[in-house]
Amino acid sequence: MTNVAARFHAIRLIVGALCIFFLCAGCTVRRAIFNDAITSEQVNFVRVGQTTIRELADHIGAPDEVTESDFGFVALYYWSDTKSAALDFGAIGRLFLPYSPTMALSKTGVTPEQFQVVFDPQWTVRAYGFSRRATDEPVIWFWPF
Amino acid sequence: MLFPKPLAGIILILALVLTQGCIVTRGTVGEPLQDDAISAIKKGTTTMAEVISMIGAPDRIVRGNEREIFHYYYYDGKSPAMLLLILNFIRMDVKSDNLYVFFDRNGIAEEVIYGKRTGRTQFKLWPFGD
Repeated sequence: MTNVAARFHAIRLIVGALCIFFLCAGCTVRRAIFNDAITSEQVNFVRVGQTTIRELADHIGAPDEVTESDFGFVALYYWSDTKSAALDFGAIGRLFLPYSPTMALSKTGVTPEQFQVVFDPQWTVRAYGFSRRATDEPVIWFWPF
Repeated sequence: MLFPKPLAGIILILALVLTQGCIVTRGTVGEPLQDDAISAIKKGTTTMAEVISMIGAPDRIVRGNEREIFHYYYYDGKSPAMLLLILNFIRMDVKSDNLYVFFDRNGIAEEVIYGKRTGRTQFKLWPFGD
């Protein structure tokens, strides 16, 4: 009886491992992160007409770009979190066959985001805001349709 | 002899088996900014020429409001990858350092803004989570 139970346990383990093996077969997960995200909580301290570029840099670091606009200088902070996943149905075949064609579904989501601050000539904040925020997508999402 | 030959062989084979499919990539843009050169810039006294001699020519110059801003940057990216027979994980982490030196109309430094993020760049393989 103990032998049968032990054997059943081993079979379950093997079947489970094979299921995971076939579920993962052909999966590619990629992630590219550029800079740390800036949250609205981190910029709560900013007061229009009061906060200077020095105070801003002390709190959230130097901007990635400073450029001039019609309204004054603009400091830009960039960050992004790119998620990409692919599933290649031909991967399993390649384990057993000399040739198996690639049949892949793939999806990539690039989400560049910005925090923009406009300054007056005295380098005091005139306006600020975040770019359009993307919804948080899952890391594995290879359905392209 | 530190290791007997069979043990050394086993360790070598184990190391090869465990690291097969591993890729480690590092990419940088520009030169790292030197902290001592940045701290040598004194507001109200250091000239544009002195900044150039200490740090070099800027990567970008922003002009406006009759003033000039020198922008220096450095990017550091680390990307580990694991390409197994059926499953691949690839992750890339890129961060930037930025230095801005603001000059007044006479070409004297009036403000220095420096942000260093590259110290937090990691070789992190696991693509899930933060």
